[in-house]
Amino acid sequence: MADIRDITDYLAKDDWSRRRFLQATGLVAATITAGPILEACGGSTGNGTSTTTAVGTIPKPRAGAKIQLLQWNSFVPAADAEIKRQAAEFSTANNVTVTIQTVSGDQLQPKTASAVEAGSGPDIIQMQYGWPHLYDTACLDLTEFVNILKAQLGTVNAVNDAFCKVGGKYLATPYCQVPNAWSFRTDYWGQAGLTDFFTTWDELASAGKALKSKSLPPIAVSLGHAYGDAITMWYPVLWDFGGREVSSDGKKVTINSKETLAAVNWAIDTFKNQYISQNTLSWLDPDNNQAYHSGLITATLNGASIYIKEVYTTATGHKYAAVTNNAGMPKGPKGLESLNLIFNHAVMKWTQEADTAKAFIAYLMQPDNYTKWLNASVGYNAGPFQKLTNADIFNTDPKLKPFVGVVATGKWPGWPAQPSKATSQSQVQFVIVDMFAKACTSGDAKGAIADAEQKLKRIYETPV
Amino acid sequence: MGAAVRGLEARGLMGPRVRILDREAPLGYLLLVPLLLLLGLFLAYPFLFGIWLSVTNAQIGDNGHFVGAANYQYERSDTVFIQSFANTITYTAVTTVFKLGLGLLMALLLNQVFPAQRFVRAALLLPWIIPSVLSTLAWRWMFDPTFSVVNWVALHYLHLPSVNWLGTTSTALVSLMIVNTWRGIPFYGISFLAGLQTIPTELYEAARVDGATRFQQFRQITLPMLRPILVVVLLLSTILTFGDFTLPYVLTNCAPYNSTCVLSTWAFQIGVNGGYIGIGAAISLVLFPLLSIIVAGVLIGLRSRD
Repeated sequence: MADIRDITDYLAKDDWSRRRFLQATGLVAATITAGPILEACGGSTGNGTSTTTAVGTIPKPRAGAKIQLLQWNSFVPAADAEIKRQAAEFSTANNVTVTIQTVSGDQLQPKTASAVEAGSGPDIIQMQYGWPHLYDTACLDLTEFVNILKAQLGTVNAVNDAFCKVGGKYLATPYCQVPNAWSFRTDYWGQAGLTDFFTTWDELASAGKALKSKSLPPIAVSLGHAYGDAITMWYPVLWDFGGREVSSDGKKVTINSKETLAAVNWAIDTFKNQYISQNTLSWLDPDNNQAYHSGLITATLNGASIYIKEVYTTATGHKYAAVTNNAGMPKGPKGLESLNLIFNHAVMKWTQEADTAKAFIAYLMQPDNYTKWLNASVGYNAGPFQKLTNADIFNTDPKLKPFVGVVATGKWPGWPAQPSKATSQSQVQFVIVDMFAKACTSGDAKGAIADAEQKLKRIYETPV
Repeated sequence: MGAAVRGLEARGLMGPRVRILDREAPLGYLLLVPLLLLLGLFLAYPFLFGIWLSVTNAQIGDNGHFVGAANYQYERSDTVFIQSFANTITYTAVTTVFKLGLGLLMALLLNQVFPAQRFVRAALLLPWIIPSVLSTLAWRWMFDPTFSVVNWVALHYLHLPSVNWLGTTSTALVSLMIVNTWRGIPFYGISFLAGLQTIPTELYEAARVDGATRFQQFRQITLPMLRPILVVVLLLSTILTFGDFTLPYVLTNCAPYNSTCVLSTWAFQIGVNGGYIGIGAAISLVLFPLLSIIVAGVLIGLRSRD
């Protein structure tokens, strides 16, 4: 964009003509109007950086800038090590300092909420699920930046897109998915007389019955307040039987339906008959990993971390490496949906280094760098852009294929309504998970659904 | 008056403004100022801000505006809030009784002379010293029905059935109480022990000469002499247990299905994770009037006896 010195130089030239006058006034008008337009498109930082970002190009980092990224501790430590390596590489190449601060998954939200409330903190925050909708007032509009990435990397996965986009604007950059599929013990499976892994929810119950009849360890899924594993299990069960918590416009609670009743009855039958473990009502996210690695369960729904620890982590001894396999999500009578843990990157409004933050995110998303990170995470993560989905690791290890497979059927809590503060509220209150948990222990399907309906109505229909 | 002071007076440096410091009351208030400022900054401001938040529709990142008692009204129809309220009262009442009884017993035992007395006293403080997150995680592992060492011992040595400690609504709340009691006993015990050691031994000697039994000595000497410290410990413990967050959050995080939610965890769920900070503040402040009455009653009672 022309700056004011170009214009004054131009005007200083003599030999004026009508054509030159029109050119000069046009240039002035363009200069005056271009700033706000670029700013509206997210091109200008307005946060202390002096340069205005040109449309269609990745912002340049400011030499000497210091930025911090807050993210979770991945269940695959090698993935975090690779991010830190790339941060150091980026820092050296651009004379900036990028710090990666990691916290446990369940501490990420309190940390984020504190920063948002205080209006200061990390420059970039890794946003889980629908947080951009919860913290919309604190996230910079990244629409222009994401459009540049889209032009380079292809279309965005629908779930990342729905979480990142708030009111038509991208308040976060799509970053990754943590696909959840089933890890299971092939030896126990064989001992129970089972051949193929279950492909329907009814087959899951049958497999659980077979395991129980041979006194083998059970299939186990969290019915507790696990922000990942419980949610990724019980929302798909609801959806696959046709149940929905709210209408697609997000205004009318629709949980009380015969489809939900069918889903809940399936859960009650499976639980009461001990086809799934009875011990999972308080399980948090690490508990099923621990149970699997201790040889106490046969199958569980999880990210690839269980498989990775068994097969790729030499320090843990490959205890069940030879007898561990993975499988995709089963389907129900009304479809096959899945729910995966989602992460996106938001650049926070308080940052003084928005351009450097964007440049760093763009650096992480470069196909070479991103693929290195995907390979380091050994299939635990999947890319959100079209060109980032095919990591080498998924081709070299066919057992990881199910984790790629569940990405395509991914949905978000509250679906088919678009993500919103209300869908996030329903998710963090574990309304759907608790409905299944309550039904499983009480055996009262209608009572559990009525309880969930009452809670959902407070959230969706009569918020304070 | 020394020559130096006379010199100061002559130069006008020790007029009435300086001499005011010679008077006890103004000096006392003056010395209190730094403390009052610190209290105002670190206690009064957050507290008043919390009250303000509870009467606004603030969300994380949005200050909101005044809504009066709407948040309190809204929570009245929330079944989880009602459950959390009941759980908080039960949790505090039951654990306080057990901590008081067992803490007193612990103090009486520790007050005896026995070998390795100092080591035992220090060791019994461990539950209080260990960071509560760590000890609660250890308890979580012990209670987990899949890995439970408690169940393993019960099954293999006592031939008792396994208990799904954290998996049913009744046992999960009991588990919370067990861990809180375990953690709280040393605080009571050591505080009572300090009190016991201030009781003059002459009183017991005189009682023995008069033929008093052990129980009579306990009722007529120990308890009355221990009363001030007992009341203060009880008060502090009650307040801390009402507001206990770490333990319920780490042990059950409200599961199964919110049955172990207490007000602090539910406020966190709604206010921090859900973003409705105004409602969260209202939930956490709902016990304030009740606690105020308890505290005022106890303090007034303590003062009147003194």
